[in-house]
Amino acid sequence: MTHVVLESCIRCKYTDCVDVCPVDCFREGPNFLTIDPDECIDCAVCIPECPVNAIVPEEDVPGDQQHMTKLNAELAKGWPSITRRKAPLPDAEEWKDRTGKLDQLIR
Amino acid sequence: MADSPAAALPVPIETDALIVGAGPVALFAVFELGLLEVGAQVVDSLPFVGGQCIELYADKPIYDIPALPFATGAELIERLQRQIAPFAAGFHLGQQVNEVALREDGRFDVATDAGQRFVAKAVVIAAGVGSFQPRRLKIEGLDAWRERQLFHRDPGPEATAGRRVVIVGNGEAAVTAALDAVEAGAASVTVVHRRDDFDAPTPLLLRFQSARTNGRIEIVTAQPSGLQSEGEVLKGLVVDGSDDRTRTLALDLLLVLLGWSPKLGPIAQWGLALARKQLIVDTERFETSTRGIHAIGDAVTYPGKQKLIVSGFHEATLAAYAVAERVHPDRAQPLLYTTTSPKLHKLLGVDPANPSPPALP
Repeated sequence: MTHVVLESCIRCKYTDCVDVCPVDCFREGPNFLTIDPDECIDCAVCIPECPVNAIVPEEDVPGDQQHMTKLNAELAKGWPSITRRKAPLPDAEEWKDRTGKLDQLIR
Repeated sequence: MADSPAAALPVPIETDALIVGAGPVALFAVFELGLLEVGAQVVDSLPFVGGQCIELYADKPIYDIPALPFATGAELIERLQRQIAPFAAGFHLGQQVNEVALREDGRFDVATDAGQRFVAKAVVIAAGVGSFQPRRLKIEGLDAWRERQLFHRDPGPEATAGRRVVIVGNGEAAVTAALDAVEAGAASVTVVHRRDDFDAPTPLLLRFQSARTNGRIEIVTAQPSGLQSEGEVLKGLVVDGSDDRTRTLALDLLLVLLGWSPKLGPIAQWGLALARKQLIVDTERFETSTRGIHAIGDAVTYPGKQKLIVSGFHEATLAAYAVAERVHPDRAQPLLYTTTSPKLHKLLGVDPANPSPPALP
């Protein structure tokens, strides 16, 4: 089992989650964070940290976001680890409430 | 029977309860079982006691233990070890319980990956988020050199003397291994981490810094990305530098000391009912779908379950009473208070006329 970052994170990348992760399981891409399913221990402390509620346990991934479980695992393989919080993307405020952002993802 | 392979294995340890895991909840189970005159043997995959409290939270504060307004993970474990000392449980660390099987006599055969075997009247699984395994570098093919040129522990001075040692990591284990390799007379010591940022107790960091200044330890800020080999020999670690340069670090020994990461492990194969990869237990006896196998702490789920240490302590207490019923079936288990019970005072080795904490063995 693992936790999954949903599309809401795309173009926001607030990174509050990475500070609290006890096992450093977040990986950073240009405009999205992903969780490495091999490292996540389902402790759930990251969930309330995310200002856009982008993180959910694998079983609670909504129907229209099912592809994100696989995408998290795939992207985690190639992206570097992020363990310290940094500033969100400059236009995060503008993007945070938008949906259907998958085409904005930069790999 | 002399030529049977089983004859070469150590004699199984007979015990009342076998506890899988040595985190805070497991340690408190030793205490509650001890008060009920149930002996325990404890197995944990980590080479030390304390589980997540030590591996993930040793220096981090905990504020929600009753009557303990503040403790670090390490302090909590140290206090629990003091509390359970009177019961002299056996500890088997650095090994993982692989098999649990019900015997015809109603007891359980338990075996670890280190070859230790137990015959237990009851099993208590307090395995938390799983069995901690060394974090590996995700480089294809690297595992082929494991225990030959690749180690996830410090292989010791005899292995490092005269060798070119490359260490990946930035924690206390990596810093200590680097200093030990210098001391052992390694030909070179190179430490690779993505940032020039090391996390270890200050005295170690001071020695580390001075070895760097003297040129005995080289730091490379880079991420490992590949390997170089010739036939059966691992020759080098390819790293992508923070300056976007790729280089190869020549080596004889590669130590990957990136800490430990929990994996569910073999528990999933023991035929116990699971929900969301957690063991389903009842809330009276904290028993799994197999009678005699109890489970407590972060490894379990039940309606209302919260993954809190304080909840784990309660679970350990009720599980201990259920285990005691199985271990001492013909004995009533009256409720006794540690404050007033002469029997418990005897078990704890304390003198109520002169109240004091139990003596350390």
